Order: sequence, then structure tokens, then C-alpha cells
Amino acid sequence: MSEKPFSRPSIHDVKPIAVPKIGHWIGGVVLAILALVLVQVLVTNKNMQWGVVAAHMFSPAILAGLGMTLLLTALAMVLGLAIGVLLAIMRLSASSVFQAVSWGWIWFFRGVPPLVQMIFWYNLALLLPEISLGIPFGGPKLVSWNTNELINPFSAAIMGLAFTESAYAAEMIRAGIQAVNAGQTEAAATLGMTRGQTLRRIVLPQALRIVIPPIGNDTISMLKFTSLVSVLALPDLLYSAQMIYARTYQTVPLLLVATIWYLVLTTILTAVEHAIEHRLKSEDRAGSGKRAGFLPFRLFARQQEAL
Amino acid sequence: MNDVMNDPVRGEPLLKVERLRKSFGTHEVLRGIDVAVMRGDVTCIVGPSGSGKSTLLRCLNYLERPTGGAIFLNGEPVGVRWKGERLYEMSFNELARQRQRMGMVFQGFHLFPHKTVLENVIEAPVLVKRVARAAAVEEAMVLLERVGMKQRASYYPAQLSGGQQQRAAIARSLAMKPDVMLFDEPTSALDPQLVGEVLAVMRQLADDGMTMVVVTHEMGFARDVADHLIFMDGGVVVEEGRPADVLTRPQHDRTRAFLARVLAA
Repeated sequence: MSEKPFSRPSIHDVKPIAVPKIGHWIGGVVLAILALVLVQVLVTNKNMQWGVVAAHMFSPAILAGLGMTLLLTALAMVLGLAIGVLLAIMRLSASSVFQAVSWGWIWFFRGVPPLVQMIFWYNLALLLPEISLGIPFGGPKLVSWNTNELINPFSAAIMGLAFTESAYAAEMIRAGIQAVNAGQTEAAATLGMTRGQTLRRIVLPQALRIVIPPIGNDTISMLKFTSLVSVLALPDLLYSAQMIYARTYQTVPLLLVATIWYLVLTTILTAVEHAIEHRLKSEDRAGSGKRAGFLPFRLFARQQEAL
Repeated sequence: MNDVMNDPVRGEPLLKVERLRKSFGTHEVLRGIDVAVMRGDVTCIVGPSGSGKSTLLRCLNYLERPTGGAIFLNGEPVGVRWKGERLYEMSFNELARQRQRMGMVFQGFHLFPHKTVLENVIEAPVLVKRVARAAAVEEAMVLLERVGMKQRASYYPAQLSGGQQQRAAIARSLAMKPDVMLFDEPTSALDPQLVGEVLAVMRQLADDGMTMVVVTHEMGFARDVADHLIFMDGGVVVEEGRPADVLTRPQHDRTRAFLARVLAA
């Protein structure tokens, strides 16, 4: 019962023992087991047919589908952003007609799902059998086209995707333009710049720097949204995989092929987005003089100069 | 009054303001201003805050559209033009051509943050006046040397102190070779120890014969550099004249009260 005398070391010579993180240990073990089970299922489940996955991973049909997916993503983003810039400028215009048209466009294309739009555009001929340029309200027509010749799965898909993107991009770009200090416009005006020059050279470059991160995010979303075009029988990545398994009944392995490719592409896009954001952040901090390498922005600036 | 407006020795004023009025909604900020600025003169506008002096300056180059009255630059109306017997408003782009002749320096500098100091200075000459880039760079470097910013030509605005940014902004305005430079409280946003370097550049500019209109709270600068001092209060010009006269022998109670307040501080 008698207490032993302590022989403590000096408090300055020892480190205190850390609080045990029991929860981390238990949770960690449980999650690790679950992860192992998942890996085991993925590897050993015969239905995954990894051999088939490997065989189709780089097959010509799949690679062609991959190309189509990338083309759709790029075209829809470029068109969507171009229309979005226009809509944003209209939205900020002093004219109430421009404002209303922009508002209406954004309201419609943000509200209607892209899948519904695509099917609708594809069936446009049912509504308008002929599209013509001329004097409206029964005046003479200058040129006219058969709608069925203009609309194919590709153009219908691009319209659905690009118009949806334009509505979202317009709101982002409008916010970006409004975030640029009003003093910038005044300074440009006192230097004798016209409205167009001020917009192209002063306001838009600053606004686009602000909206580059959300645009990167939208590009990743767009990549995934392109899979909707399979309803129009447009051979993108998903539809190419579907065509193969419709013939061979190897549904799971071909869906895996598509899944893996989508993951690869989104991973690459995410890495690019992070790099750009990092670049922007470090530039803002240092205002570094070495900006010439920042490709997307420089390219855009050059485009603007060419206008 | 008349010999200020039409000095027989020095001719017509470079900048003339007649019966200028400006309202924001129902609030009347300028209630009929008449001012004449002679070529090569430095005109300082002083007065309590809310007296309308910044609004007056911003009306001169139509950053604010006046509600009434007229402004003449070199005898030519600003912001409007005659066509036969009718008077037309100028479009933004016509106005842009007129604004080139009036440089402006802001309280908040407003350098373009995505461009270096040099790019800021050459932007307008290259874009608006279509000056060849190499020639614009050469002229810009001369201007940057004048304002003591040659060593900082490749810096971005965010890397500079307020005083350096303001000196770069002055060079940017000068690059358009304006007839007159408007300064809107150019040192009010600066730390006290940076005010001197900007005022020194402005003094030098005045010595070089630039016509300047300066809205300022720097009474020392107004006393030493100005050829003409205008005291505004409540949207009117209360008193104007040679700085020595206005500052030492003010004729109006409002001027006396203002001077007592600012000179005591």
C-alpha cells in the first residue's frame, strides 16, 4: 500500500505522450477492410471480365467514340462561352430589349434539361419544316433550307449542349465583368478608348481571369454531359461501348471501358484546372513578370488583339 | 470677371466652363459654375467635401453628363456638337476622341492590373492613336523616367506602392499628349510619407508648362504651385483668384471658415 517514491525526469527532458486516437484506429481498420473487399470483388468477380475490358480499351470503335466525346466537349464549350460572353454583355447593356432577350434566353436554356433539348432540336423539322432567311411576316425569302438537312444528331447535340452551357457561362461572365472595378472603365474612357476597346482590352481580360476556375469546372461537367448524346445514336464514348455490347452482350466490361476513359479524361482536366488555378493564384500574389507562358490566357489575349 | 475670361495678353482660355449645373436625382451638386482655365496655368480647386469640386472635374471630360451649361475646350463645345442650327449629343466614341485631349489622374490610381507599368503607358497610344509599338515604348520610357518610374517599367501595379502607382498613372495619362491634365484628389489615397513624391512630379509637370486642373486638399501645393485658386462650397464658386490673395485675404466668411479649419489641422 505504501506509495513508491517517484523518480520523475525533468519536464524539460520528456515529450508528453499523445492522446490516443482510438476512433481513428477503429474507423481506419473498418474502412480498410471494406476497401479490401471492394478490390477483391473487382479483381476476382468473373463478371467483370477484365480480359474483355483490356481487349476493348484501345479498340478503334472505342477510340473513335473517345474522339467524338472530346470534339463534342470542346465545340460545346467554345460555342457556349462565345454565346455566354455575348449574353453577359447584353445583360449589362443599357437597352432593356437586349436585357430582356438575354434574360429570356438564360431563363429558357437553364431551365430545360439538355437531354430534352437535344431530342427537341433533333425533331425540329416537325415544328419548322423549312428554315429561311428573308423578310419576316410573309415577305420574300432569300435563302431557305430543308430543316431535315440542317439537323443531324451532331448539330442537335451541339445545340443542346452549347445552349445550356451558354446560359450558365453568361451568368458567370456577367458576375466576372461586374467584379471589375468601375474605375477601370473610367480610366480607359479618359484615355480616349471606345466602348469596344475598353471591353476587349481592359474589362474582359480581367473578368475572364476571375471566371477561369468556374469555366474549368464547367468543362469537366460538359465532358460528362456529352454522354447524353447516346439517345441521338451519336457514336460518342458511351454509345460506341453500347453498340459493342448490344452485339456481344458484354455489358459490364464495356461499361467499365467507358467508365475508365471518363475517369482518365476528368483526371487530366482536373489536373490542368488545378495547374491553371495555381498559376493564377501565384501570379496574383507575386504579380510575377513571367506571364508569357500562361497559355490559355495569352492565347485569348492574342485573339482579342486580332479582333 | 471679364478680364479673366478674355485676357487680351494670353488670349482665349484653353478650358471654359459656363453656367454648369449637375444634379443627381433631386440633389443639385453644381449650381451654375463659371470657370476659365488659361493655357499653361495650374488651377487648384479647394473646398470642403461635398462641395461639388470632384463632380465639377468629372463633368469637364464628361465622365458625368452635366445637367445644364456648357464646357469649351479650345473654344470647341465638349460632349455636344453643332450641325447647322441644331445641337446634338456626342456618341460615346465621338466623346472618346475629345477625351484624349484631357488626361485624368484619379484618387484610386486605376492602373490596369493585368498589365505592366510599361504596358499601361503604351496601351492607349498604340490602341487609340495607332502609334507603332516601338515608338510608343520609346516615348513611354522617356515619360517613365520623368516620373521616376523607369526602373519599375516591367512591374505589375500590385507590386508597387501607392505613390509609385500614382506616378505611373500620371505617365499613362501624359502618353496621350493631352492639352490639359485633370487631377482628382491625386494624393488623398496615399500614406502621408508617399504624398511628397507625387506632388514633386506634379510640380515638375507644372514647371514644364502643362495646363493642370487639380482638385486637392494639399493647401501647401495650392499656395506654391497654383496660378489660380478656386474655392467651392455648396455647388458654387465662392471665391477665386491668385492663391496668395485668396489664402491670405479671403473675402468671404465661408472661405475664412474653411481656411481656419484646414490650416489648423
